[in-house]
Amino acid sequence: MATQLVSKSERAYIQASLQATPPLRGDGRGLLDFRTVLLETGVAPLANGSAKLNIGKMPHEGGGGTEVLAATKLEVEDVESGDGVDGGRVVCSVSCSPSAYPHLSSNALDELQHDLTVILQQTIGHPSLHPQNLTIIPRKKSWLLNLDAVILADTGNAVDALFMAARAALWDTKVPRTRAVEYQAPEDSRTTRDSASAMDVDNREAIPAASGFDTREMVKTAADFELPDYWDEGEVLHGRERWPVCITLNLLPPSHFLDATPSEEASVPLRMHLMFSFASPSTPKLQSMRLLGPGELDSAQIKSYISEGEKYARELFNALESKLREEDVRRNVKARDRFAQR
Amino acid sequence: MAQSNFDRRRINGPDESYQPVFEADEELDSRWKPGSSRKGRAARDIRPIFLQAGLINQANGSAYIETEKTKIACAVYGPRQSKTTVYNEKGRLNVEVKFTPFSCTRRRVPIRDAEDRSVAVQIQQALASAVRLELLPKSTIDIFVTIIENDGIEGCIAAGSVAASVALADAGIEMLGLVASCSAAVVGEEIWMDPTEQEGHIASGSLVYAGMPALGTITNLWQSGSMTPEQAVKCMEACQECCADIHSVMAQALLETAQNT
Repeated sequence: MATQLVSKSERAYIQASLQATPPLRGDGRGLLDFRTVLLETGVAPLANGSAKLNIGKMPHEGGGGTEVLAATKLEVEDVESGDGVDGGRVVCSVSCSPSAYPHLSSNALDELQHDLTVILQQTIGHPSLHPQNLTIIPRKKSWLLNLDAVILADTGNAVDALFMAARAALWDTKVPRTRAVEYQAPEDSRTTRDSASAMDVDNREAIPAASGFDTREMVKTAADFELPDYWDEGEVLHGRERWPVCITLNLLPPSHFLDATPSEEASVPLRMHLMFSFASPSTPKLQSMRLLGPGELDSAQIKSYISEGEKYARELFNALESKLREEDVRRNVKARDRFAQR
Repeated sequence: MAQSNFDRRRINGPDESYQPVFEADEELDSRWKPGSSRKGRAARDIRPIFLQAGLINQANGSAYIETEKTKIACAVYGPRQSKTTVYNEKGRLNVEVKFTPFSCTRRRVPIRDAEDRSVAVQIQQALASAVRLELLPKSTIDIFVTIIENDGIEGCIAAGSVAASVALADAGIEMLGLVASCSAAVVGEEIWMDPTEQEGHIASGSLVYAGMPALGTITNLWQSGSMTPEQAVKCMEACQECCADIHSVMAQALLETAQNT
């Protein structure tokens, strides 16, 4: 990942203070303390779902912190002739704003973007998390869910911020309700019915026998869909309790710490990303695990990191859940109340 | 028609082409039913490995690995002088992976694309801590991995790491130990080692493991898909056992090459 340049003495200083008793960090936090996380959903009105997340903003010192903006957009895809897959698909992308990484060349920035995209795509796009309601017309049309995240500023712990923002944006996503319609060409010129009226699929009547040479048969089952209510935002995306949260453990054997600042990330390059999904609170599922950076571990250490990571992830998940529900209340219930009182 | 001649250096095929559908294939492709056992091998068996070092004479070190359908060739050039003028006190390990256009069921474009880089990053992660880069200041070691046939991306990463490690040893670059790598998948309730591409699709989760059996350490761990932490730990332990076997195959291949020259 992008690391800022740090000298050998600074690196040794940071490592020594992290391994001291008691462990010391530059901003006085404990090893397992997170910085303040600020989250807001519904920040992009044109997107189907969006969220802005900031870790470590210091309002008294003029802002800052790692800032990530994530938004989802739904597009209609053709299954037969286009790229669509029956059941819909999810595509994630991460872009790093050059202002967040001023010291990186454009090639290095591209590579960083690609690496983060791969981590996000392989975890969120995995078939086990695929939401059920991305089909419009089975085998004909489906939704493509584009999840785009932009890193606006990076002061450490960008991966955790990405996943939290992605989860919040996916939580906020509403899929427009569609209704399948079928066009029927007029069966007989003798009838007095209107020609070529769109009818609902359930009201389709029996098609009378027509001539074998009648080529209008081919046009009869051209299926399409319509939005019953243009202004309705739609239903929530299915499977929202399954989206994972990520916790990054920066590893400095024998200890580890969370939520690193840029100089800590540069001094302790070995890290482990653990993505847990808490769909059922009793059995958390490990959705993804990545070991990054130069260094070797043995299996006992990895086992302990996984179990500790699960605990931290659970706390993070609970905090994120309560915040997301609060956001739901703020945007829906309270907004309706304010509107009613005006 | 100007859009179709996008790549002027090569002979372009037709604008749109589709894979031919063979009737026989559709009958053989019987659906795997949950609960049924693996076809062709035991759950914990890896595919048999053919590994030979020293096939590419032009390179400092090379290796070719073949495991049933996955075929990978690896060449190592180095240590040679870094092209950049920035001083680096530890050597740089540069891994480049290329999928040949005929390696997958759908033709891949010859232009370097995103999947190449993700495989390269994984192989570099597996090898970075094993190579003694602190002995090679101002130098770069270039590792070129060519995937001739691809049967499962996890298998490719594992086989690529093994081939690269043997190629590095063949080039005489000092390492702390040989890096062995293998993959595992969770299918239903069982753990299947070394999944093929088809098996990877039916799996609920997969894991790629790379480590040095000689030192008992792990250098790369990449898990994706839904599995419980206990299953992940079990996969890791199964991979660790397989890596010990793969290590002896690697050592044997290097010994034969050394004895033949």
